[in-house]
Amino acid sequence: MTAAHLLKAEGVRVEIAGLEIVEHADLELTAGRILAIVGPNGAGKSTLARALVGLQGAAGGSIAWAGKPLGKWRRRELARTRAFVPQRAPVSAGLTTRDAVAMGRAPHLGALQRPTAKDAAIVERAIARSGVEHLAERSLATLSGGELQRVRLAVALAQETPAIVLDEPTASLDLGAAAEMGRLLHDLAAEGLAVLVVVHDLALAAAIADEVVIVDRGRTVAHGEPADVLTSERLLETWGAAATLDIRRGATVFEVDWLASGARPEGAASTEGGLA
Amino acid sequence: MPTTLPSTCSSPRAARRGRGVIRSLLFAPAGLIRSLLFASAGLALTAPVASSAVPKRIIALTPYSANTMTLLGVKPIAVGQVSSGEGSVYSAALNTVPRLPLSHPSGPNLEQLTTLKADFVFSSQAWARGKKGMERIGLRVAEREPRTVSEVPRQTKRIASILGRSAQGAKLAKAQEAQIKAATKGIKKHPKVLVVLGVGNSPYAFLENSWGGDVVKRAGGTLITAGLKASGGFARISDEAVVARNPDVIIAVPHGAPGDIKKIAAQMRDRPGWRTTNAARTRRIYVSTSNTLLQPISGAGTTIAGVRKILGN
Amino acid sequence: MRSRHSLVLAAGLAVLVLSFLASLAFGAVALPIKEVARALAGGDVSGQVHEIAVGLRLPRTASAAAVGAALAVAGVLLQGALANPLASPDVIGVTGGAGFGATLILLAFPDQAPLVPLGALIFGLVAAGIVLTLGSAGPRGGSIERVVLAGIAIAALFGAATTSLMVAYPDRVSSAIGFLAGGLVSDGWSSLETSGPYLAAGFVGAVLLARPLDRLSLGDDLAASLGTSPRRTRLLAGIAAAALAAAAASIAGLLGFLGLIVPHLVRLAAGTATHRFLIPACAIVGAAVLLLGDTLARTVVAPIELPVGPLMVVLGVPWFLWLLRKTA
Repeated sequence: MTAAHLLKAEGVRVEIAGLEIVEHADLELTAGRILAIVGPNGAGKSTLARALVGLQGAAGGSIAWAGKPLGKWRRRELARTRAFVPQRAPVSAGLTTRDAVAMGRAPHLGALQRPTAKDAAIVERAIARSGVEHLAERSLATLSGGELQRVRLAVALAQETPAIVLDEPTASLDLGAAAEMGRLLHDLAAEGLAVLVVVHDLALAAAIADEVVIVDRGRTVAHGEPADVLTSERLLETWGAAATLDIRRGATVFEVDWLASGARPEGAASTEGGLA
Repeated sequence: MPTTLPSTCSSPRAARRGRGVIRSLLFAPAGLIRSLLFASAGLALTAPVASSAVPKRIIALTPYSANTMTLLGVKPIAVGQVSSGEGSVYSAALNTVPRLPLSHPSGPNLEQLTTLKADFVFSSQAWARGKKGMERIGLRVAEREPRTVSEVPRQTKRIASILGRSAQGAKLAKAQEAQIKAATKGIKKHPKVLVVLGVGNSPYAFLENSWGGDVVKRAGGTLITAGLKASGGFARISDEAVVARNPDVIIAVPHGAPGDIKKIAAQMRDRPGWRTTNAARTRRIYVSTSNTLLQPISGAGTTIAGVRKILGN
Repeated sequence: MRSRHSLVLAAGLAVLVLSFLASLAFGAVALPIKEVARALAGGDVSGQVHEIAVGLRLPRTASAAAVGAALAVAGVLLQGALANPLASPDVIGVTGGAGFGATLILLAFPDQAPLVPLGALIFGLVAAGIVLTLGSAGPRGGSIERVVLAGIAIAALFGAATTSLMVAYPDRVSSAIGFLAGGLVSDGWSSLETSGPYLAAGFVGAVLLARPLDRLSLGDDLAASLGTSPRRTRLLAGIAAAALAAAAASIAGLLGFLGLIVPHLVRLAAGTATHRFLIPACAIVGAAVLLLGDTLARTVVAPIELPVGPLMVVLGVPWFLWLLRKTA
């Protein structure tokens, strides 16, 4: 194993309630780089991400973090290696933002151990980096969807893991907040973090990702640099959309012919057709 | 209730009127049908039973009424089943009379009652909830159950008058009065007594206004619950009060067929608080296996005499 | 926020100390407070005073404090684990099971009455065991709905069994009413001794579960990301709550509603709060509330004792509703 390969997944298969949601997925995550998982709705992106971080059992294939198979990790140990930022989570009225972010230190603390000044400093830094200082004393129940998304990121940052996996982190963010999130992820990768982000916004993915993995109908069908992978042919084949992505590092021009009829084969708009 | 109605009406008052109309439309026919039904039922069922007629086929739900009837020379066609102390509760003459199972809170099963073709039921307060049902199937019901010792001869006379045997009733009542008098004569000691109902850690204490409480008083006992009142004649009483009022005798009525009597008495003796009382120290804790302290059986004389013996009078 | 928490804790502790002293000082029999103090300190007093103060009041006061704390903590554990503010020990079947266990012994085996605490404890745990096993088995196991549905079904089953017993032994029902209504009894230390280990285990479990439950309130995904197994945390919280509630029922009968009300009371008073605050605060407030309730129940119409369960509902609910309205 090379230190650069923080996560390696091969032939991953995931079933939920008898349905095969992920058929075959391969990918690798490397320190200091952003890997974006993209794909049409229902392709199995989120399920794959959840399987990679150990929230969802895999029915086949292998997933290894830092060279050690996922099943061999102890929970707390794994929580010091990777953090997961879910797209949605129930909101607890009983917690303030700072309470929530402080829990990011849990994997580093014993069951009854008190957080130290160092832990407190890490929590404050995570709050600051996610831009939620002004919300620190607010109850989570009073926050908007976008604010909550940033709080969840702050929790993950307080975990101080070498890898961070985010499921649709910009889903409830407006344009400015989404751009800010993109910048933050870019900076984190520049500091040496491995970032895996599930995202449906192709323009954003192309702008910030070092590599892109396309998932279609439960399979990883393409892997490579955004410019090499997100071609017009691919956009037509996988998304059924007539579009062109003009990709420069950090900025994208996404040209979509919104009214062109889709050329995607019938019944392939989502995985459901293949699974029924 | 149609909750959307107010929004279609111009004013709240109109809405109320609207609802009123709907309500009367919905319920008037039902009410009409109901009253028609009851009118006819009432006609059919009450006509043959003239209220002053002497009843012939009588069911006695309580031991007291059954035994009193028997003493007056009228045998009930069925008596209420009691769960324990059966032998001591009904007089031997009633051994062959069918037992009617009773269940709380209404008493006998009405369907079963119908098959007995009775015309009269002696009931008690305990089955008050079942009275209406019994009357609905055409039975006359009278609650003739003494709640105090002094009521016994009086209720005996009233039972006799229902049976058309007032002369015999007066004689029996006189005899009962004499028995009570004899049983309460010459009482010298007045020990402090606690009578409890039930087992476990929260038994109920008999108060003065219960049958058992009155019997104990007549037998010379001083209830440590004297002066307390509760509607049913029973109340949970503080163990601290038991310590402070220090009963000389404790009588436990487990009610229903109890298990090991000695065991129950021993449990009471060892209870915190109770263990320091005179009753526990002198081993004067008794467990009553019959129901005689819960309800009158016939004349109260024998019951009083029995309690007197326990109290050492 | 933090100062408000400290204030609630301090006020709770003050009320707890006062109610503890009141519970020792007052009872059906008026004793001079000096005498009571002397008796408790092991001094020379009359046998009667000693029996009342040391034999009756002290164990009853200790029982009330333990039961109040146990029920409140059981409630807050379940409300956190099931992410449902309506959860109480009734939800996982403990109350139904304990009621059946006690009624079975009191009605069917009256000469075994001293086994009532044990019967309530065992059947309370059995009922909760069935609920938690059913709730966590299968592919969708561990989900909140499954646990709650299993709990409702089992509670109904044991409730029906209790009712059947009462129908079968109608003349002995009076023995069971006290237990079913809920109320402390003066049986010395015996039921506290039977249930003590379960109370201790439950309280230790609650302390250890405070942080995992806080993580759970961020949602299952974030909790799992932080290395906490939501399923295991729920199961452990259920077990700890079952131990506490069954032990409480074995001592004081069915007072389950305390477990529902006290956590809400604390939340209303303290505002935003984590389980690290809620669990000790609920223990303190629960103990204080039951001590006050029991002292009232013993003294209001002394020497008659009122059942503390209904009494607290009657006094507590209007006050609680007023508080709810004021803070809403």
